[in-house]
Amino acid sequence: MFDTLDLGASALVAQRTRMDTIAANIANIHTTRNEKGELSPFRRKFVTFASGQAGDRSKPGVHVSEIKDDMSPFIRKSDPGNPDADADGYVSLPNIDLAIEQVNSLEASRAYEASITMMETTKAMISSSLRLIA
Amino acid sequence: MFIENLLNQGDAPMLSEMLRFTSQRHKLLAENIVNVDTPNYRQKDLSVDRFQSMLRARVEQKRSSPAGSVSFDDIGMEIENPRAGILFHDGNNRSMEQLMSDQAKNALTHNLVVELLRKQYASMEMALKERIG
Amino acid sequence: MINGVTNNLSLGQIAGGGATPASTTGAGSTGGSSFADMLKNSIGEVSKLQQDASQAVQDLATGKTEDVDGVMTAMNKADIAFKTLLAIRGKLMEAYDEVKQISM
Repeated sequence: MFDTLDLGASALVAQRTRMDTIAANIANIHTTRNEKGELSPFRRKFVTFASGQAGDRSKPGVHVSEIKDDMSPFIRKSDPGNPDADADGYVSLPNIDLAIEQVNSLEASRAYEASITMMETTKAMISSSLRLIA
Repeated sequence: MFIENLLNQGDAPMLSEMLRFTSQRHKLLAENIVNVDTPNYRQKDLSVDRFQSMLRARVEQKRSSPAGSVSFDDIGMEIENPRAGILFHDGNNRSMEQLMSDQAKNALTHNLVVELLRKQYASMEMALKERIG
Repeated sequence: MINGVTNNLSLGQIAGGGATPASTTGAGSTGGSSFADMLKNSIGEVSKLQQDASQAVQDLATGKTEDVDGVMTAMNKADIAFKTLLAIRGKLMEAYDEVKQISM
């Protein structure tokens, strides 16, 4: 029963990583330059899950297997006066849709809460079994 | 043998077996819950109906056998992949609500059985001590 | 008189508890036998209550019923009945010990 708590912890870590990715996407929704200052729009990132705990794949749980780049095309906006505009007067903006990111963050938050509830239930079951001795 | 038969009387062995079932099922349901977003994950469960019918058979057997001869330790619990209600192409039926409610029911059953078992043991102890409490 | 006491002793032993001569307070055989019978019936009643509770638990476990309140009530009744019987037995043993102390 105690290893179910490890299972829950792995889920919390995985959903937290997903949340962090979503937060990075939202923060960078207008980023057109990379850390060196070169013209390189931010690419949307997403996570993929796989079952098994991160440290030991044979134990039940979940972990983030990859943080991948979303290779869908950048959004092109017409803005001729912008210093980042190309020869045709279009600016390439990150391929991030705020609505999608918000829905994903709600899902991640829901999964996080579900794992918390599951861990509370586990703790209640362990405590109740302990009372057998008392 | 004598002490074993004494300890196996009443409902204590049946209740202990139920605890084993609810504990195992809890772990499977927990794994299903955390893997709700994992692609290609197959949900796992223990069949409550099958367990209850096996329990019923064993209880009937116990009633018609000499005291202490029928044990409950070896009721088989096979993990199965339930196919009911599959909504997604990768075979994962991601109903979070169903999983949470199943887990809540299972936990409540577990806690109830613990209380019943406690009462059984307290009863036995009371008879042995010849004192109330 | 002595016949009456012997009667009470044997009936008391049949009742399965401690010997009951003291509790019959030297009354005739009719007073002693009714108390002994009452004890015997009580043991039967407690046994039946315990069997009812066990049946209720089994029905709940095998899924035949969902009535948790019924099961809890049945278990509590059996529990209290058993404790009552135990208390009576305790008092009887005490009384018997006191009677043993009486030096003739």
